[in-house]
Amino acid sequence: MLSDFGIILLFILAAFAFISLVLFGASFLRPDRPNVEKMSTYESGEEPVGNANVQFNIRFYVVALIFVLFDVELVFLFPWATVFGQKTLINETKGLWGWFSLAEMSIFVLTLALGLAYAWVKGYLSWVKPQQKIPTVDTKVPQSLYDQVNKKYQPKAKASQPASGTV
Amino acid sequence: MLTLSLILLPVVAATLLLLIKSPAVKTLALGAALVELALAAYAFATFKADAQMQFEFDYPWIAGAGIRFSGGIDGISVLLVLLTGLLTPLITLSAFGREYDRPSTFYSLILYMQAALMGVFTARDAFLFYLFFEAALIPVYFLAAMWGGEKRIAVTFKFFIYTIFGSLFMLVALVYLYYQTGVPGKPGVHSSAIVDFYNLNLTPAAQGWVFWAFFIAFAIKMPVFPFHTWQPDTYVESPTPATMLLSGIMLKMGVYGLIRFLLPIVPAGLETWGLLATTLSVTGIVYGSIIAIRQRDMKRLIAYSSFAHVGLMAAGVFSQTANGLQGALIQMLAHGINVVGLFFVAEIIFGRTNSRFLDQLGGITRTTPKLTVYFMILLLGSVALPLTNGFVGEFLLLNGVFAYNNWLGAVAGLTIILGAVYMLRMFQKSMFGPTSARTETFDDLSGAESWVLLPLAVMVFWIGIYPNSFLKVTEPAVLNLLQYVVK
Amino acid sequence: MLPIILLSVFGIVLLFMGFLKSKVLLLPATLVFILAALATTFMDWGKTYLYFQNMLLTNNLAILFTTIVLLSAFMVVALSNSFIEDEQAQPAEYYALLLFSLVGAIMMISFENLIMLFVGVEILSVAMYVLAGSDKHSPRSNEAALKYFLMGAFATGIMLFGIALLYGATGTFVVSGIKSYVYTNAYGVSLLLYMGIILLLIGMLFKVSAAPFHFWTPDVYDGTPGLFTAFMSTVVKTAGFAALFRVLSVSFVGVYSFWWGTLAALTCLTLLIGNVTAVYQTSFKRMMAYSSISHAGYLLIGLTALGTQTKQALVFYSLAYSLATISAFGVLLVVSRQRQDTNGVNENFDAFNGLARQNPLLGFVMAVSMLSLAGIPLTAGFWGKFMIFTTAADKGIYWILVFAVLMSTVGIYYYFRVIIAMYFREGAAEPVKVAPFYRYVLIAATILTLVLGLAPGLLEGLV
Repeated sequence: MLSDFGIILLFILAAFAFISLVLFGASFLRPDRPNVEKMSTYESGEEPVGNANVQFNIRFYVVALIFVLFDVELVFLFPWATVFGQKTLINETKGLWGWFSLAEMSIFVLTLALGLAYAWVKGYLSWVKPQQKIPTVDTKVPQSLYDQVNKKYQPKAKASQPASGTV
Repeated sequence: MLTLSLILLPVVAATLLLLIKSPAVKTLALGAALVELALAAYAFATFKADAQMQFEFDYPWIAGAGIRFSGGIDGISVLLVLLTGLLTPLITLSAFGREYDRPSTFYSLILYMQAALMGVFTARDAFLFYLFFEAALIPVYFLAAMWGGEKRIAVTFKFFIYTIFGSLFMLVALVYLYYQTGVPGKPGVHSSAIVDFYNLNLTPAAQGWVFWAFFIAFAIKMPVFPFHTWQPDTYVESPTPATMLLSGIMLKMGVYGLIRFLLPIVPAGLETWGLLATTLSVTGIVYGSIIAIRQRDMKRLIAYSSFAHVGLMAAGVFSQTANGLQGALIQMLAHGINVVGLFFVAEIIFGRTNSRFLDQLGGITRTTPKLTVYFMILLLGSVALPLTNGFVGEFLLLNGVFAYNNWLGAVAGLTIILGAVYMLRMFQKSMFGPTSARTETFDDLSGAESWVLLPLAVMVFWIGIYPNSFLKVTEPAVLNLLQYVVK
Repeated sequence: MLPIILLSVFGIVLLFMGFLKSKVLLLPATLVFILAALATTFMDWGKTYLYFQNMLLTNNLAILFTTIVLLSAFMVVALSNSFIEDEQAQPAEYYALLLFSLVGAIMMISFENLIMLFVGVEILSVAMYVLAGSDKHSPRSNEAALKYFLMGAFATGIMLFGIALLYGATGTFVVSGIKSYVYTNAYGVSLLLYMGIILLLIGMLFKVSAAPFHFWTPDVYDGTPGLFTAFMSTVVKTAGFAALFRVLSVSFVGVYSFWWGTLAALTCLTLLIGNVTAVYQTSFKRMMAYSSISHAGYLLIGLTALGTQTKQALVFYSLAYSLATISAFGVLLVVSRQRQDTNGVNENFDAFNGLARQNPLLGFVMAVSMLSLAGIPLTAGFWGKFMIFTTAADKGIYWILVFAVLMSTVGIYYYFRVIIAMYFREGAAEPVKVAPFYRYVLIAATILTLVLGLAPGLLEGLV
C-alpha cells in the first residue's frame, strides 16, 4: 500500500517528530535558572584556563586521514575474504581461483602499502611535539628594575601570582 | 592551374618577403606584383567570351561534407581579377615614396591582401568564398592599425568588428543554404558549390531572411547607407596604400557578392525587398555627395565620393537588368582605377605640403603641369565625363536604375551633377588660385609617381573610348546569371 | 584501459622519483610517460571493447577524446619548466597529480557504467582541487582551492543523487541498459528518470562551467597557478563534454524532446554570461576564465542539437580550443612572470603592451591563438565553430545559431584587446626570455592550429 520510498519518508518524519518532541518537551518542563558557574565552560571539573581558540593541530588531521584510508582498505578486505576461501570455486578451477584472487588483493594492498611508504618517507607519520614559543621582549630596561616595580606594587595577603611573560 | 597560381603566388612571395630584411624588399614586392599582373593580364587576354567557368581548379577539402577547394574565373569575375592584378603593383609602387618602417611586414601584408582578394573573386565554393572574404580583413586591419594615423586603433577596431558582424550573418545564410542542397535519395549529402545554390527552390519567406542576411553583410562591406559609418574614418586614418586597397578593391567584394550570391539565389526576396534596397543605395548616393561637397579634408572627400559611387553600383545591381549589371561590372573596374589614382594624388600633395586640407592648399598647378594633367584625367573619370571610364559605367548604371524605377533613376542621376560639384571644387581649391605658404615650392611628379599615374590614365581612356573590349567579355556571363532572376 | 593502468603506475613512480636529489629527470620522465600512454591508446583503434565487466567502453570516439586530453597534458607538462627552478615547488607531486587526474579524465571519457563516471569525475576533481591550491603561499590560490572543493563536492553530490534516481527508475547503472529502458518504456518513462537526468546534467554542467553553475570558474581559474589553469580549462572541459555526449547520445536520446529545451536555454545563458562579462575584465587570466565559460556554451550548442554531426564537431572544437588555450597560457606565463608590476606577477592586458615588437614569435603565437578562439577563418577555431553551427543547422534550430553568431562578435572584442596591446601599443623595452624547448612547444601548437585551419579535412574520416 505504501512504496519503499514512502516507508523511508515516514521514517524520516517520525525521527524528526520524535527528536523535536523530546527536545521541545524537555525545554518546556525543565526549570530555567542560570547562574555564572552553570554557564561557564566545562573543562573536566577544573577551572577553565587559557583561550578556547587553540589552533587545530594539523597532525591530527593527517593521522586521521591515513587511518580512514586503511580502514576502508580493511572494509574491502572483508567481502574479499568471504569469496577467497570458497571450496567450491577453488575445486572448479583447480586451485587457480585462489591464486588469482590472492594476486588481485595483493596488488590492492601493495598499492596502498606504497602510499604508506611514501607518507612514511615524507615524514607525515612522525609526531612532533609542538615547540612552544616563549614570547621574548627586547628592551634595554634590565629585569631588576621590573622586579623592583613589581615588589613595590605587590598586592598584600594574596598567594604569589605567576610572573607575567611566562606560561 | 592559372587561378590557383594567382592565389598562391602572392602568398609565397609575401612569406618570403617576411624572412628578408634587406632594403631590396620593395623591389621584390613590386616584382612579385608585376608577375601577378602578367598572369592576370594573360587570363584576361585568353578569356573566351562565353558563359562558362574557365581556368578552373577543383580539389577535395572536407570531402565528406561536400565542401571542395574549387575556383575559377568566369565572365563576372574576370574584370575583378584584372583589377586586382593591375592595382596591386601600382599600389606597391605608390608606397615607395614614403619610408614605412618594418617594410618587409608592410609589403608582405599588401601581397597577402592581394592573395585573399584573388581568392574571393575566384572561389566557386561558398565556404571557400567566405574564408577568403574574412581572411581579406586581417592584412588590411594590420596595415591600417600599425601604420595609420592617430585615431587608428579605435577606428580600425570598429571597422573590423562591424564588418565581421555583417559577414557572420552571411555565414548563417550560407550554412542554411548548404543544408537546403541535397541529392535526392541520399540524405545527409550536401554540397556547397555556389552553382548548386542557384538551383534551390526556397520559399519566399526563407528567401526574405536569406536576402537580409546577405544584404547586411554586403551592405556593411560596400558600404551602403546607413551602414557606412565606419567608412570615412577608416579611409582617413589608414595609410594611403591601405586606403587604396580598401576603396580600390575591397569594396568591390561587396558588389561582387551581390551579383554572385544575392541576385541568383533569392530572386523572390529581391522582388519583395529590392525597392527598399535600391532606395537605400540611391539615398547613399545623394547623401554621400552632399557631405562630400562640405569636406575640407581631401582624403575624406574622396572617401565620401567613393561611398556615393558605390551606392550607384549597388542600385544598378538591384535593378536586375543587363545594363545595370554590365554597368556595375565596368564601373567596378573604372571606379577602382579612378579612386586609387585620386588617393595617390592626395598622398602626393600631402607628402609635399604636409596637409590635406583644401583651405591650406592652392595654386599647385603653377609648378606641376604633369600632376595637373593626371589629376584632371582621373577627376574627370570620376565625374563621368564622356570618353572616360566613369561615363561608361554611370551611363549603363543609370540606364538600368531608370528602367527599374523612373524616380529612383532620376534621383540617382543627381550623382553626375553633385559629383561634378565636389570634384571640381576640390580641384579648384587645391590646384588653382593663389599659392599658399605650404604650396610655394611644389616639385612636379617624380619618375616613380608618373609610372603609377600613367597606366591609370591610359586605362581611363581605354575603358572610356573602347569599353567593348571589356564589356563583350562579361556579357554572356551576365545574361546567363540573369536567367536565374525572376522578372 | 591500458592508458589508465599505465598512467596510474607512472604516477606512483613519479611520486617516488621525487625523492631523488635532482629534479631534472622529472619533466622528461613525465613527457615519456604521457607519450607511452598515448601510444597504447591507439592499440584499440577500430574496435569497440568493453572492459571490466562492462564498466568501460573504448571506441574510436573515446580514443580521439583521450588523444586530445593526453596531447593537452603533454603540452602543459612541456611548458612547466619553471617548476624546476622554483625552490618551494614540489614538481614530483604536481606531475603525479596531473597523471592521476588524466586517469580520471580517461575514465570519464570511456565509461559505460554510471558509477565509473562518478569515480572518474571524483578522481579528476580531487586531483584538480589539490593542484588549484598548490601555490601554498598565495591566499588567492588557497581561496581558489577552497571554492573549487566546496562547490565541486556539492555538485558531485548532486550528480550522485541523480545517478541514484536513475538507478531507481531503470534498475541499472549501465549506459546501454538505460537506453533500452528508455526505448521499451517510450510512453511511460518514470518521473524519477526525468529528475535523474536533470540532476545528473546539473552535476556535469557544473564541471564544465556552464551557466548558471559557473560562479566558481572566474575565482578558481584566476587563483590557480597559470599552468594548472590551462590544464583545468582544457582537459576538464574535454572530458566533461565527452562524458555528457556519451550519456546524452546513448542513454537519453530517446527522451531528447524532454531535455533539449532546458539545455538550449542554458546554452544561451552560458553564451550570454560568458561573452558579455568577459568584455569588462582587465585581467587576462580572468578574461580567459570567462571566455572558457563561453566556449562551454558553444560546445553545448553541439549537444543541444544532437545529431550525426555532433561527434565530429565536439572533437574538432575541443582540439582547436585546447591548442589555442594552452598556447595562450604559455605566452601568459612567461610574460606575466617577467613583466611584473607592483603587485607581483602581472596578468593584466597591459603586461602585453608592445610584445610583438620585442618578441615577434610570442606575439604571433598569441595572435594566432586569440584569432582561433575568436573563430576567425584561417585558424582551426573557425572550423570548430563552423562544425558546431552546422550541427544546429542540421537540426533546424536557427535561432540558437543567430544568437551564437551575435555572441561571437562580442567575443571578438575582448580577444582583440590582447592583439591590440601587443601590436599597437608601446611597452617595456627588453624582450621576454623564453627557453628553447618552451618555444618549440608554442610553435608546434601554432603550426597545428594553422594547418587544421587550412585543411580541416585531415581529421575527417577519423570519427
